[in-house]
Amino acid sequence: MSRSILRLTSSTWRALGQTLFLFFFLALFVKTDYAGVDELNWAVNLLFRIDPFLAAAAMLAAKTVIALMLPALTTFGLTLLFGRFFCGWVCPMGSLIDASRRLVGRPVASPPRPGRRQLKYLLLLFLLTAACFGLPLAGYLDPFSILVRGLTFSLQPSLDHAATVLFTWTYQQAPAWVNTVTEPVYAFLRQTVLPFGDKVYGLSLLSLFLLLAVLGLSRVEPRFFCRKVCPLGALLALPARFSLLRLRGGTAECGKCSQCRMVCPMAAIGESREIAAGECTLCLDCVSQCPRSRFGYGIKRGAAPASNGNGRHPNLSRRAMLTSLAAGALAPLALPSRTQARHGDPLLIRPPGALAEPDFLDYCLRCGECMKVCIGNALHATWLEAGLEGMFTPKLIGRLGYCEYNCTLCGQICPSGAIRKLGKSEKQAVVIGLAHFDKNRCLPYASATPCIVCEEHCPTPDKAIKFKEVAVDTPKGEQITLRLPYVVENLCIGCGICENKCPLEGEAAIRVTAAGESRHGRLPGPEGY
Amino acid sequence: MNRRQFIRDVLLWSAGATLAVPRLTIPAEVRAEELPASPLLAVAKGEDYAALVTRVLQPLGGMGRFVRAGDRVVVKPNIGWDRSPEQGANTHPQVVQAVVRQALAAGANKVLVFDRTCNEQRRCYANSGIERAIAELNDSRAVIEHIDQRKFVPVEIAKGKALTRWEIYKDALDCDCYINVPVAKHHGLSRLTLGLKNTMGVIGGNRGSIHRDLGQSLADLATVVRPRLTLIDATRILLDNGPQGGNLADVRRIDTLIASVDPVAADAYATTLFGLSPADIASTVAAHKMGLGEMALDRINVVEA
Repeated sequence: MSRSILRLTSSTWRALGQTLFLFFFLALFVKTDYAGVDELNWAVNLLFRIDPFLAAAAMLAAKTVIALMLPALTTFGLTLLFGRFFCGWVCPMGSLIDASRRLVGRPVASPPRPGRRQLKYLLLLFLLTAACFGLPLAGYLDPFSILVRGLTFSLQPSLDHAATVLFTWTYQQAPAWVNTVTEPVYAFLRQTVLPFGDKVYGLSLLSLFLLLAVLGLSRVEPRFFCRKVCPLGALLALPARFSLLRLRGGTAECGKCSQCRMVCPMAAIGESREIAAGECTLCLDCVSQCPRSRFGYGIKRGAAPASNGNGRHPNLSRRAMLTSLAAGALAPLALPSRTQARHGDPLLIRPPGALAEPDFLDYCLRCGECMKVCIGNALHATWLEAGLEGMFTPKLIGRLGYCEYNCTLCGQICPSGAIRKLGKSEKQAVVIGLAHFDKNRCLPYASATPCIVCEEHCPTPDKAIKFKEVAVDTPKGEQITLRLPYVVENLCIGCGICENKCPLEGEAAIRVTAAGESRHGRLPGPEGY
Repeated sequence: MNRRQFIRDVLLWSAGATLAVPRLTIPAEVRAEELPASPLLAVAKGEDYAALVTRVLQPLGGMGRFVRAGDRVVVKPNIGWDRSPEQGANTHPQVVQAVVRQALAAGANKVLVFDRTCNEQRRCYANSGIERAIAELNDSRAVIEHIDQRKFVPVEIAKGKALTRWEIYKDALDCDCYINVPVAKHHGLSRLTLGLKNTMGVIGGNRGSIHRDLGQSLADLATVVRPRLTLIDATRILLDNGPQGGNLADVRRIDTLIASVDPVAADAYATTLFGLSPADIASTVAAHKMGLGEMALDRINVVEA
């Protein structure tokens, strides 16, 4: 190869572009954290705001225009101009799928078949209809949500754990000269890629498996997820079909050479070498590999060759489309029969600024960013407590973390406004729950032992936990002045620091429930009489 | 050696190393300085905190008496809460800065500032103003660091009555000079938090469980964590809703510093600022009983500087 370095192939340019965007995304991801000031500057929520699929689903669900997500129109518009460049060049999930292809292993090379790529369109149709009719599930399959959840809940904490184990070992066991090397490395990692402290997350393994599954499916077919599942890709394929600029290349006259068809990861090139613009992600592998350099990128010209089996169009059968629509429209009808329709889970404590529960579920993208940015590691992914559609939405678990009184990060980061952006004083007035004592376990009540750690930590300037002093006889027979704590209901905001800091082992003797939360629409509760 | 054998050997060898019990030998007790029968205690008032620190240390012999050239110094302020300096929940940043600056001027090799906070560490360090105050010194010897979990080492507390063993931050034990710079403020359980209570910031473990016998526990800790100097920041004292406050109406500005070699005497005298007496504070009483210092006000030699 006597080629000069500057003459890179088209595929290499694309790979460079992908790398650039991937690093930009990872940099944003790492930056999504408290940085010494109350306001966040750069954060990975950018990515979600340019996602037209999530934007469409959230707006259909909420039946309103969500201004925060309007940048998604840009992606849509650019796709109309340039085709599905987003999938081939920008999407970090796509880049990871490409990057991990060698690890995952290549599927047996065979003449590529378009296969069941209609699935993603049907899925898109179902998800959007279901969102519109009251069953918001879009976040489960959005590639960014899957990726950010996997990174936040599992990969980054694992990386942190690995580093901690390694550098604790060197710190405690290795001779001093080793530490002169390892300690600066550790400090550097801490300042750059590692999270500030050790973190734990609900549904961490599930999120990891989902991410790995998306990557691993490429073993079946290249970019399996992008070809057949990704609803964002399906949505972008719609404008891409009409894109102004597109790839064109081979013709039926190319003869037996089908190099382009063999390398196309999206199986977008048909038997007569025509390219389905809706499927083509502009990876340019065909451009690089065509022995006759027939492929080129340019303005759409005149009448396209007649479509055949490979299909320039999604080729959806009417029956399949109607089934998807009907499934999306009818599935939500089953929801009111669930128990939580009458009585919601009282331990479902939503972050401060969260919209009323039904709206919250409609707006929430399940992207996990509030949980990434939560400085107290208090927000965790919900499992089924909020229903089938509530998975991966945030809830506060007091025993794992508490809502930091002066922090407003979750509202700042939320890409869709499911958690409203609140000023500090505004946030401090939001009630997310209410604390109550378990006097059977609370030390001063249960065993006449001094404690009131909860009172010490209660952050409201006029403490919501106060105490009364009583003279009691201890089991030893001494008389002491004991301070008995109690909750002042109209001062408690439910931040959970009391539950978090309660020194009892196991369950805390003071617990927070969602009772008394100040969201507009309360969780459905007992109707009383 | 093939790859498989190499990996097996590495695993075996590293497993052997990992199984070795980690043990850091830390002298369980730093030797106690002989405490004088009538300990000297300096009190000073003024609005220029940098000058105030100099003044309050003068009767004690200045910073040079405590810090020698080449020393590794720990300055331990209270940075427990995500509160601003005006709210009086943390040691005032200018006081911390002045103490660190003087330690550096006295020739310290390194001055380390840290606290195990109650609220989130980064928020406390930033909003207390102490992180910036140290950065402003622009001296590479002055370091403010977040708690490094690896540095907690188990320590036997031989004289302890309530606590006989606890995890303590290594630097607090093996530094050449430990300077305690608490803030004086209200506390629901212990009534006030002063110098002895500030030691809670150098210990690991479940600190809440210590509250069951807080006074004695703090006295026990004082047998192993022994500041060479206690300098109590009473520039702003929090009178209610402590220890974290948040309401400026609970804060009184009195621009006072108290300094003594005797940690118990410093705490004892500070109670008078709140209209209390030393006997009201369980940790003061317990520490005095253990012979760790003087609590009788008439036996403390108070010098107004």
